[in-house]
Amino acid sequence: MILNIIYWATQRKWLLISLLLATVLYLLPTPQGLTAEGYHTIIIVLSTILLIVFEPIPLPAVAMLILVFQVLFGIATPNQVASSFMSDAVFFIMGSLMLAVAIVSQDLDTRLALGIINITGHKTWRIIAGFVAVCALLSSFIGEHTVTAMMMPVGLTLVRHTSRDPKKVAGLTSLILFSIAYGSAMGSIGTPSGGGRNVIMIGYLSQFGMGNLSYLDWMKYAYPILLIEIPLAIMILWWTFRPEKTILDSAVRKLKVQVAKSGQITGSQITAMGVFVLVFLGWVFLSPKIGLGIVALMGVVLYLAMGLVEWQDLNRNTNWGVIMLFGSAISIGIQMKDTGAALWVANNVIEGLQVITSNVDFSRSFVSIFLTAGLTNFLSNAATVAVLGPIVLNMGGNAVMVALSTALASAFAYLTVVASPTCMIIHSSGLVKPSDYLRAGWKMTVMSIAVLLLFIHLFWPLMG
Amino acid sequence: MKFLLAVSSQEFSESTLRMGSKVAKSFGAQLAVVYVGPKPKELYAGRVSLARDTLAKWEIYHPGVEVLRWAFDDLKTSGFLENSDDNGFNPLNMVEEKGRYRMALPGSYGQDIDLILREGDIVDELRRECSEDEYMVSIIGGSKGRNMAHDLLQYLPTSVLVMKNVDLDRHYRILLCVDDSSATDRAVRFGATIAKQMNFPVTIMTVSKTEEFGPGYSGAAEAALRHLESQQVDHEQKFITGDPVNTFIETAGEDHLIVMGSSSKSALAKFFLGSKPMKTLEKANCPILVVRDK
Repeated sequence: MILNIIYWATQRKWLLISLLLATVLYLLPTPQGLTAEGYHTIIIVLSTILLIVFEPIPLPAVAMLILVFQVLFGIATPNQVASSFMSDAVFFIMGSLMLAVAIVSQDLDTRLALGIINITGHKTWRIIAGFVAVCALLSSFIGEHTVTAMMMPVGLTLVRHTSRDPKKVAGLTSLILFSIAYGSAMGSIGTPSGGGRNVIMIGYLSQFGMGNLSYLDWMKYAYPILLIEIPLAIMILWWTFRPEKTILDSAVRKLKVQVAKSGQITGSQITAMGVFVLVFLGWVFLSPKIGLGIVALMGVVLYLAMGLVEWQDLNRNTNWGVIMLFGSAISIGIQMKDTGAALWVANNVIEGLQVITSNVDFSRSFVSIFLTAGLTNFLSNAATVAVLGPIVLNMGGNAVMVALSTALASAFAYLTVVASPTCMIIHSSGLVKPSDYLRAGWKMTVMSIAVLLLFIHLFWPLMG
Repeated sequence: MKFLLAVSSQEFSESTLRMGSKVAKSFGAQLAVVYVGPKPKELYAGRVSLARDTLAKWEIYHPGVEVLRWAFDDLKTSGFLENSDDNGFNPLNMVEEKGRYRMALPGSYGQDIDLILREGDIVDELRRECSEDEYMVSIIGGSKGRNMAHDLLQYLPTSVLVMKNVDLDRHYRILLCVDDSSATDRAVRFGATIAKQMNFPVTIMTVSKTEEFGPGYSGAAEAALRHLESQQVDHEQKFITGDPVNTFIETAGEDHLIVMGSSSKSALAKFFLGSKPMKTLEKANCPILVVRDK
């Protein structure tokens, strides 16, 4: 019995640390300039960050704890908490996770493989360029993890056809896997539907009355950044992971034979692509009126109604705990704004950074880009935006530009295994090491930040 | 009787698998080979699972499946399993049950071994595995870091055999550490079984910090001697005055398999103060079997 208690305590130490931190902070006096509700909101945010990073308890439990604490600390009533929990952003996250399952289940990966190989040929650098470009362009519309899930088999099959032992072609293996992961991650900035965090930020802008950003407006500002990043990323990856073979003719030939066995494109696959096109058009034209999330759910309904996917498959592969967590994170983000906590933190950050510079624009850039790009490597991009969004939006300046730069910076998740779903997916292959992420990731981060800053200061002002 | 053998990769687990399977065979035990891989962060688990389902359609499986395939082939090569024409290993026969994946093996394979894949914290997953089945001994590799083997020794409900610095070409002796702990009697029987089946000579060692060897110590030593004589195992006996842990380590060197009973101290005392088996495990440069009193 005692042993089980000791074991429980060692396994749950971060829960105990989080609760201890919350208790200690709660007992301290409320800082000047902050309401009690605002202070309690900040306490919930800090303790929740520890629980999300270290996962001592299941994520749905963390999500529920956030909601419970809001009521127990007197920050909001139960009905207020409930209404802030569900929003169009949460619908979008739910819808996009289910759309991912629906799209991946259509077995379009073989078509994709054939298409890429037919264009790129058998030279390794062209295959890598093809992977990065295709992953980036696709993920800008259908989400990074969907594309990674479809492209991983293609990449790993090429590796397997090159050598039965991937360790003998470690450079090529890393190059292919990181092309897929980083290409997909980069692409998610291109449109709002590229990632749930984009929709969260759009939701904050609208909810806080600070502006509106349509699907096409987002693309106007973000897509050129993506198009410039693609060739730079290809060069960085090629420079970092030198492949053992510069020509993969044998592997490409075997891959072509393998995918040719899947036969002609089917009616279901054409229908599935058609449904997605409808969803995309819905996002572009209908979302200003009915929201991105509702359009995503309409897409899911169409896939189910047409029998293109089974509910059991959607249910099994949709992580409902993640949806709950993001609902709770957005809920606490709204409380950060409503209680004045976000404004207090924003003012204190600007004041703190005045030690370095009195330039408020610099402080704003620092938080919206550098802090976001750093935090996203540990906390997940959507959670980073959910937490930092209300703060950066209270730092003044052009709210839409600040929102956009924060959301884009949250995609610079290249440095760690847990930085993004794409990083985690390629790590699950067992073929890449944590040090590989640092090797390429720091260069990708520097490049991405540089390109973003260039656009913020030179091109966006010209675009109006 | 069932043993659990934890593997991590072909590179690091070869000697653990070879020697561990020989030890299991000496007891006539069934063997469960368990691979515990890192668990994807829960935030991304659903998306990783989606990617894995897609990979499986291309016959690209979880890396743990390849480790289990290697372990299965190695057990056939080493003679633990009967080598037949029927391969028996089919990744499509991995069945999800009770938070783990278990391979359904055909015929006699299924009676001799289990192949199990788990994901998560290794201590947590092996504890869960031990709660699923009645394992007598858990066999693990010697990790470079102190913590894993130490935590497994502390928290697993089975006896634990840690394969530290195993050399398959070395001819080992058994260092049977005898004292007045309640598990000593069982440790003696385990040690004798291994010695007899694997033809290892035994050194029975009793160490006291003082010149006096109390009735508990001398009684246990006498019982150990009688048991080994009855088993007709090649043996010698030593009584040493000194620090027990340092004496065990100096005597064992690299060419002994240390066998000792688990400590009789309470769980709290062991957690805060440690125990002789834990300290011996930390310092040993050879395999060590800590036997629980059950």
